[in-house]
Amino acid sequence: MSDADGAPLDTFPKYLLLNAKRFAGRPAMRHKDFGIWQTWTWRRQLEEVRAFSVGLKALGVEQGNRVAIIGANRPRLYWAFAAIQALRAIPVPVYADAVGEELAYVLDNAGVSVAVVQDQEQVDKVLSFAERIPSLEQVIYDEPRGLRDYDHTKLHAFESIQEHGRSLLASDPSIGSLWEKNIQEADGDDVSVMLYTSGTTGQSKGVMIKASAAVNAAADTVKFDGLNEYDEVLAYLPLAWVGDHYLNYAQGYVAGFCMSCPEGPETVSHDLKEIGPSFYFAPPRVFEGLLTSVTIRMEDAGRLKKHLFNHYRSVAAKYGEDILEKRPVPLFGRIAYWLGDLLVYGPLKNSLGFSKIRTAYTAGEAIGPDLFSFFRSLGINLKQLYGQTEAFLYVTAQKDSEVRADTVGPATPNVDIRISEDGEVQFKSPGMFAGYYKQEQKTAETLTEDGYVKTGDAGFFDKDGQLKIIDRAKDVGKLKSGALVAPKYIENTLKFFPNIKEAVTFGDGREFAAAFINIDLQAVGNWAERNNIAYASYQELAGHPQVYEMIADHVDETNKKLASEQMMAGGQIKRFLVLHKELDADDGELTRTQKVRRGFIGDRYGELIEALYDGSQEKYVETEVTFEDGRKGSIKATVKIADAGFYSVPEASTAKEAAE
Amino acid sequence: MSPAFLNFIETILNGLMAGVMYSLVALGFVLIFKASGIFNFAQGVMALFAALTLVGLQTGQVPFAHLINAIFGTDVHHFGWELPAILAVLGTLAVMVAFAYLFEAIVLKHLVNQEPIILFMATIGLAYFLEGFGDLMWGSDIKAINIGIPSGGSFWWEDVTREWATEGSDYFGMYVDKLDVVAAIVAIILVVALTLFSQFTATGRALRAVADDHQAALSVGISLRSIWVIVWSIAGFVALVAGIMWGAKSGVQFSLSLIALKALPVLILGGFTSIPGAIVGGLIIGVGEKLAELYVGPLVGGALENWFAYVVALVFLLFRPQGLFGEKIIERV
Amino acid sequence: MNAPFDPKLLTEPTPEFTLSAHQDDIPSGEVLLNVEHVSLSFGGVKAIQDVSFDIRKGEVRAIIGPNGAGKTSMLNVINGFYHPQEGTITYRGEPRKAMRSTAAARQGISRTFQNIALFNGMSTLDNIMTGRITLQTKNLFWQALWHGPAVKEDIEHRRAVEHIIDFLEIQHIRKTPVGRLPYGLQKRVELGRALAAEPALLLLDEPMAGMNLEEKEDMSRFILDVNSQFGTTIALIEHDMGVVMDISDRVVVLDYGRKIGDGTPDEVSKNQDVIDAYLGVPHD
Repeated sequence: MSDADGAPLDTFPKYLLLNAKRFAGRPAMRHKDFGIWQTWTWRRQLEEVRAFSVGLKALGVEQGNRVAIIGANRPRLYWAFAAIQALRAIPVPVYADAVGEELAYVLDNAGVSVAVVQDQEQVDKVLSFAERIPSLEQVIYDEPRGLRDYDHTKLHAFESIQEHGRSLLASDPSIGSLWEKNIQEADGDDVSVMLYTSGTTGQSKGVMIKASAAVNAAADTVKFDGLNEYDEVLAYLPLAWVGDHYLNYAQGYVAGFCMSCPEGPETVSHDLKEIGPSFYFAPPRVFEGLLTSVTIRMEDAGRLKKHLFNHYRSVAAKYGEDILEKRPVPLFGRIAYWLGDLLVYGPLKNSLGFSKIRTAYTAGEAIGPDLFSFFRSLGINLKQLYGQTEAFLYVTAQKDSEVRADTVGPATPNVDIRISEDGEVQFKSPGMFAGYYKQEQKTAETLTEDGYVKTGDAGFFDKDGQLKIIDRAKDVGKLKSGALVAPKYIENTLKFFPNIKEAVTFGDGREFAAAFINIDLQAVGNWAERNNIAYASYQELAGHPQVYEMIADHVDETNKKLASEQMMAGGQIKRFLVLHKELDADDGELTRTQKVRRGFIGDRYGELIEALYDGSQEKYVETEVTFEDGRKGSIKATVKIADAGFYSVPEASTAKEAAE
Repeated sequence: MSPAFLNFIETILNGLMAGVMYSLVALGFVLIFKASGIFNFAQGVMALFAALTLVGLQTGQVPFAHLINAIFGTDVHHFGWELPAILAVLGTLAVMVAFAYLFEAIVLKHLVNQEPIILFMATIGLAYFLEGFGDLMWGSDIKAINIGIPSGGSFWWEDVTREWATEGSDYFGMYVDKLDVVAAIVAIILVVALTLFSQFTATGRALRAVADDHQAALSVGISLRSIWVIVWSIAGFVALVAGIMWGAKSGVQFSLSLIALKALPVLILGGFTSIPGAIVGGLIIGVGEKLAELYVGPLVGGALENWFAYVVALVFLLFRPQGLFGEKIIERV
Repeated sequence: MNAPFDPKLLTEPTPEFTLSAHQDDIPSGEVLLNVEHVSLSFGGVKAIQDVSFDIRKGEVRAIIGPNGAGKTSMLNVINGFYHPQEGTITYRGEPRKAMRSTAAARQGISRTFQNIALFNGMSTLDNIMTGRITLQTKNLFWQALWHGPAVKEDIEHRRAVEHIIDFLEIQHIRKTPVGRLPYGLQKRVELGRALAAEPALLLLDEPMAGMNLEEKEDMSRFILDVNSQFGTTIALIEHDMGVVMDISDRVVVLDYGRKIGDGTPDEVSKNQDVIDAYLGVPHD
C-alpha cells in the first residue's frame, strides 16, 4: 500500500497522518467519561498523539527504546502506541491484571525505559518492583487519582507530558515538521510492537511484529471483511492481547474506523448497547455468558414472554441461518421469522448491543455448535477465525456464507498453510512474527527449517478446504485400553451446559476418563434461589448434594453424546467431582486469557486426581488461594466424588443402551 | 362486518371510555398513597369540591352567599360577571393548592409518624368537612359545568361506522360520546405529564424518595412538609380534572363524591401504588362492566354495572392481593 | 528539543472536582463539633450519660464500644434525629440545642445508616441525586414546574454526581434500581448519596458491617480517599477493631452510654477500662 505521493504506507504513524487528512472530521475514538461519550476526530487524535509523542521525546525516548503500556482500554493508552511508534520506539503492552511478579519479568525482559500506565494500582505495582527493572527510568500515568502525594521526580501525569509537548510545539514550529519527517522516514523494518504471549506453558515470550508485516496483515483482513471508516468497534478486550491490538488498533488505523473505549470493565455490556458496534469479536466464553444470562432472564420472565421466546427461538433455529446465508426459505418461514425479528430477535439483539453488527468473529477455542447457531440464527453474522500471536492474529477465517460451527475456515489471503506429517498445523503469513525478543533458541524451536511457524495444534483440512482444529497436538491422549481421549473435546461438550463454567478432564495413560467440574455461580445460584436452596458460599453450593445430582445428569448427557461417536466413545467420563473453588487466574489455574492451565491444575490438585482413580467417595483438601491484592490464604474442603453412568460403545449405527 | 360484531366493538369502545373516567379518580388515590401511605377517603369529595369551585368561579357566584344572607339579611348571590373558562380553571387550581397547604398546616403536621389508620380517619373527617364546606360555600343545588368541552354523540363516527356494516343490514352506526373522547385524551396527557414529572424533575425525585423511605429522606434534607403540600396539591389538581369530566357528564351534585367508590375496585385491580395500574385497572373494569351488561345482563335481569366491578375486585383479592402492578407482597418467615 | 528534560517544567494536573459546598473558615485541626455533657434518655432508659468529646476538622474520628453502648444514639444526636435532654452541642463554634435533621443536613452534616436506608425503587443515579437536595437553590415548587433555571441547576448537579459515581467506581450500576444491588454495593451507593451533599461532617454508621474482607478493604480505601482528597471530616462507628485502628486518627470509646476512653488508636487500645469493657468485666 502507498499514499498519494507514492511513499509506502508501512507503519501505523503514517496511517495516522493520512487519516488525519482523508478522514479529518470523522470520529477516530470515543470514550465514556462521567457518563457522557466524548469523541475525538482523526484530526484531534493526531494532535493528541503528536503532543504526547513530542513530550515523550523530550523525556528521552529514542528510536529502538522499549516503552511499556499497562492498563485497561483507555484512549490515552491507545494514543501512546502511535506516539511511541512515531519516535520509532517500540510499544510493549502488558496485561493490566498481571500480578507484580509477571509484570516485573516482562518489563525487565523487554528492557523498557519508560512505562505508560493507567492508574495508581499500576503505578504501585511498577514502583514496588522497580529494583527488578533496572532499565526503567520514568513512569507516566493516565489517572491522577490517589497519586497527588507521590514523589513526582520520575513519575508524571500523561497530561503534563502532553502539555510539555504542546508548549515545545508552540515554541518552535520546526519541532512539528521534524516529528512528521521522522515518521515519513521510518520504514517497515522497524519493530511495530512487542506482544508478550500469555504463556500457557512457562514464562511469556515477547513476540516481535515488524511494521510492514503488521500493516500488510491488517490491510488484507480489512479488505477481506470490507471494513471502512464508517465501522464502529468497542475495544474491551485486554489491551495487551494480540486480538485487541490487531482488531481495534491495527485494523482501525488502516481502515480508519472509530474505536470506542468502555467506561470501565463492568460497564461493557451497557456501553456495547449504546455504541452498537458494526464489527465485533468475542471469545466463545463471552457468547456462552450471554446465552446463559438470556436463558436465566427468560426463566424468570412471565409465562407469555417465555412462550414467545421459546417459540421464536425454534423458528429461528429452523430458518434463521438459511435466511442469513440467503438460501431458499419457504414464504411461511420468512413471515414467521420476520414476526420473530419484530417481537424477539430485534429487541434481544438491541439489548445485547448487537443490532448493527455486520461482521462478528469468535476464536480461541471451539464453540459449541448450538451456541454458535443460536447467535447466527438471530441474524448475527458470526464467523470463526483461527489465529496466533505469532501470526499477528489471522491464520484462517471463514468467508461470509461459508460458515460452519466445527471448522475455522480456509487460509486468509496471502497465508500459506500446510499440515505436517504428525498432524500439526504450520503456516507462513504476511503478519508473521520476526522472532521472540532475546530468545533466539525459542524462535528457532518454533520455526521449521524452511521458515514455517509451528502452531502446536493438531488439525486437518476437510473436503471443503476448511481447517478443523482437534486439540493441542500434545494434549490428545490415550487410555490404557488404547481408546482416544481428547480432553478439550470432552470439556467443550460439558461446558455446553449453562450450569458448568469450566471442566478439566484427565485420562491419558489411565484406566478411564475423569473430570473436575466448576459450576457457574450465576446460573447455579439462580437455580438454587428458585429451588429454595440456601448457600453461603461458592464452596457450599458446589458441595450441595442436589448440585451433584444436577451435574451428574449433565455428565450423563455428555457421555451419551460421546458414546454416539465411535472415535470418542471410549473416553466417557466414569467419575467426576465438583471442585470446591472457582478456577482463577490469580491462582495461576487459568491464563490471563482465561484458558485452563492443565498441567498446573494437575500438580495443584494431585490428591484429588488420585482420589478420582482410587475409588474413594470423598477427599479432604486444603488449597492455597491468592486474593486480588496479592495476599494469600487457604480454603479447606471435603470434596465428594461421584460416579457416572457408562454407555456401551455403539456398533456402527445400532441403538444405544444405557448400561448402568 | 356483521352488526353483532360492530356492537361488540362499540361496547368495548364505550367500556374503554368509561374506564378512563374511573382511572382519573383512581389516579388521585394512587398519588397520595404512594407518597405518604395515606388512603385518602376524601379524594371523591375533593373532586366534587373542585367542580363546585370551578362552576362558582366561572358563573361569578358569591361564596358563602347563604351564610352572608342569613347573618346580614342581605340578598347577594352573584357578582354579576362571568369568568372565561381558563381563568376559572386556574383560579380553582389556586384554591386547591391553598387547600393542600392549609390541610398540611392544620392537620397533617400534627400527625407525623402516626399509624396509617389514624391518618385514614383524618381523611374521613376531611371528607365530611369538605362536603359541608362545599355546600356552605357554593350552595347545594345541582349545577352544570360549561367550559366548552364538546359533548354528545359523534355523527361523523356514526357515518363512518355505518359504512362498515354488511350491505343490507339496518345498522345505524356506533355511538361514541365526544366528551368521553376528550376525557380519554386528557387522561393520557395527565399520565404522561405525571410520569415525566416524577422521573425527570428534582421534585419528582424527592417525591419518589419520600415514598420510598421517610427516615432516609429526612437525613438527606428533604422537608416532608413541603413534599406533602406538593402531593396534596397534585392530588387536588387530579381531583379537579376528574371533577370537570364527571361534572360535565352527569352534573355537579353531591353524588359526584360517590365516584370514589367506583375507584376502589379499580385500585384493588391495579394495585394501590401503581400509576399504570390505575389506568389499566380502570380500563379493565370499564370494558368488563359494559361487556357483562351486554352479554350477561339479559340473563340476570340487568343492573350488572352496580356490582360487577366489586365482584371482579373480590376475585382479585383472592388470587392477586397486590393487584396487577402493585409491589409484590413477600412474606419472609 | 534537545534541552535536558526538567521535571519541574511539568505542570501538575489540577483537580477538577472538589466537595466544598459547605466550606467554612475553621482551620484544619481545630474543633468542628463539640459535644459537652450530653445526656439522652428514652423514658427511664439512659442511652447516653454525660458524654463529652470533640471532632476536629479534617480528622477521621471513630466512635467504638460494645453493643448497646449508645454509639448510634450519639450519631442520631449529632444528626438531629434525637434531642438530648441535657448538654450542649457546638457546631462550627455555634451552640445548638434542638435541631431538626433536615436543618442538620442543610448545615453540611450527612450520614449513612447501619441498616442501609436507600430509596430501593430508585436508580443509583437518582439516589445520589437526592443527596444534593440541600444544595438546590431553586426550591421544590420551581423544580416541580420544570422552570428553566431549575432545569439548568439540575444538570449542574448531575455533573457533580457523575464525579461521585466515578470516584466510587459504580458506573456499571448507574441505572440499576438499588434494591437489586448486592449489599456491599448498596453501602457504596449510600456513601455516594452522603457525599453528594458535599458535607463538612460525614457520619458513617458501621460502613463495613456485614462486608467480606475485600469489600471492607474497598470501603476503607474510599473513606481514606474522601478524607485525604476532599479534606472531609469523618466520624464513624465501626465494630471491626482492625479497621478502626487502621483508618482513624482518634477514637472515643463508649460503654453503657458513658465515655470510657478517648485518644489515638494506640492510646485507646492500651486503656485498661477499654480492655475491660471489651472483655466483658462486670460493671459495679
